[in-house]
Amino acid sequence: MTSTVESTPTRAATTPAAAPSRLRRTVRTSEFTLVALAVIGFVALTLTTDGNMLSAGTLAAFFRFLAVPMIIGLAQMVVLAIGQMNLSVGVLTGFCAMVAAWAMLEAGLPAPLAVAGAMLLGAAVGLGNGLLVVFTRINAFIVTLATMTIIDGLRYGVNGPGTYQDYSAGLEELGQASLFGLPVVFLIACAVAAMVWFFFARTVPGRHLLASGGSPFAARLSGVSNDRSIVLAHALSGLLAGVAAVLTLAQSGSVNATIGDDLLLPSFAAPIIGGVALAGGVVSVLGTSLAAFIVRLVDVAQAQFAINRRWVDLIVGAVVLGVVLSGAIRTKLSRRSS
Amino acid sequence: MKQEDTTTPEQPRPPARLPLWANPRIGLVVLLIALIALFTTLRPAFLNTQLTLVPMQADISVYAVVGLSQLAVLSLGHMNMAVGRMAAMSAFASGLLHDRLDAPLILALAGGLAMGALLGALAGLIISRTGVNSFVVTLALDFALIGLVSLLYASFTDGVAFNGLPAGMSALRTDTFADYCAGDVCGPEIPLLAPIALVAVLVVGLLFRWSRTGREVLMAGSNAKAAELSGIPVRLRTIQAHALSGLLAGLAGFLLSANNGAFSAGVGDGFLLPSFLAPVLGGTLLVGGAVSVLGTVLGTAITQVIYKGLNLLQFQVDELKLYIGLVLLAALSLDRLRHVLAERRGVPA
Repeated sequence: MTSTVESTPTRAATTPAAAPSRLRRTVRTSEFTLVALAVIGFVALTLTTDGNMLSAGTLAAFFRFLAVPMIIGLAQMVVLAIGQMNLSVGVLTGFCAMVAAWAMLEAGLPAPLAVAGAMLLGAAVGLGNGLLVVFTRINAFIVTLATMTIIDGLRYGVNGPGTYQDYSAGLEELGQASLFGLPVVFLIACAVAAMVWFFFARTVPGRHLLASGGSPFAARLSGVSNDRSIVLAHALSGLLAGVAAVLTLAQSGSVNATIGDDLLLPSFAAPIIGGVALAGGVVSVLGTSLAAFIVRLVDVAQAQFAINRRWVDLIVGAVVLGVVLSGAIRTKLSRRSS
Repeated sequence: MKQEDTTTPEQPRPPARLPLWANPRIGLVVLLIALIALFTTLRPAFLNTQLTLVPMQADISVYAVVGLSQLAVLSLGHMNMAVGRMAAMSAFASGLLHDRLDAPLILALAGGLAMGALLGALAGLIISRTGVNSFVVTLALDFALIGLVSLLYASFTDGVAFNGLPAGMSALRTDTFADYCAGDVCGPEIPLLAPIALVAVLVVGLLFRWSRTGREVLMAGSNAKAAELSGIPVRLRTIQAHALSGLLAGLAGFLLSANNGAFSAGVGDGFLLPSFLAPVLGGTLLVGGAVSVLGTVLGTAITQVIYKGLNLLQFQVDELKLYIGLVLLAALSLDRLRHVLAERRGVPA
């Protein structure tokens, strides 16, 4: 599911003659490495915990808390696709969640309206980021650094240090519900991921966005508006942060002003492990989702073996460095062999 | 929408002298004076030496060095996302040296600086060897160090901080030059931390302006390929710039530890945002090739004046963040406007 500007996902090449080379190509993709890593990690964790991983409760919890990191990783990925960054994803998620909870509790809005409002708010803030980047021509890193600081203040302003809970029985029920043995929030995250994949692989604005990210100059000569791509990417990133806020509301049952603080670094870790280039032009929805899965595995291992929480950060950092180094070595080797 | 800005190469401009108002540093000085005047009118206590001025100078000293640490790699067009954790690791090294080997102040400081420089050099080595984006490498390093710092503190101390401090370190925290008198003449009310930061500012400024290494780092930042072709060892300069960043992060960690009165795991937690704020406000670009050391110091001073002033006006910590963010956006937009205007004036009609 890697979409690049140069090569669209190849579905046509299924002739028998092409099979061996296609197999080799599949094995060589970074997604395949990630799938293998995810499967090995999952099996190893199952074996070492005497099958505790497969018990219904553990499995459900595993996938339920995978939903938000997945969506946040995607929110960062859409901006990375145009070669920019969005430092405000984490705090924006917290802000949207706080505003939605406030709308339900203090303003008395029904849950569906609040949910829609949270997503709209996210998209609007993202749109603001994009417009600022386009009109001021300031680096997106700096713009979102500034908006991150602003949103951080606003997020605290919603309810100060207080906590909101019992905002909506329906939403909390949704957060705990399961379908075919999988938590509904995880299925929603998967559906959103599929939509993001469709956007980049099959729609014109999505392809334009990738073209702008790959080479702004070439995109411009081909009649693509880079400014529109930038605004669209930031708005989409904000919208996804809004979705993450809704999922957080559903699964956690209580929100306060610290929601989203621990999401910024993971938001970069997932796409980077998943093989998304920071230079832009490349996205990998599957890779990003798998990377979130692997990070979650490390998390669960920490809980299962009661290891110091800090080992997780150490291991995730080492994994990101390892992936980056192996990627660099792989390109060097393939360049040498060809 | 001005699409031409990104796509067309810049027209070569005649070297016209920029008008005075177009000098960004003067704008910063005016802003700084205006802010101080504003806060003094609102709260006369703003000019109280003990309450405000001395602590503020100490804070400016710490965060100016933090800003310089980021500036050292911005010169290359790189970023250092691990400034905070490099500072924490050097503070740990200093604390360990004192705790286990009973090292005096100067040795503890040297150990901390060496640790910072080593970590920076490691980041620079990985970046220059693999060609991977500096953001990714230092982010991963930050992740790894967050974990490592807490694990180290957990295994070498009772909790999250070392108990003792080297002799003389608490003087750095509490004393000003007014406490040292030669006969009847006492020094000014300046904290002892300030000259250390001043030395760092001077060294970094001289390095980038006059030294061969510094100029070559800037050239590598401006155009790595051209620099390589001109015989500049770009890889070595990359490693050196990152090592300098780590060294300065280590110094900032030491200064903050002195200011806090303990080598603790929390040192450096809040370094990332100010580290970008100060150089960017001061006019250093993220693309590399140009730095403004003086601008960084002014940027730090402005941020700290806003913090202190809003603090005195009894704003909440999180309201402060809101205003700092707005000021940053406004300052950058004005700067952009100034650029556009200056360019228009500079090009003869």
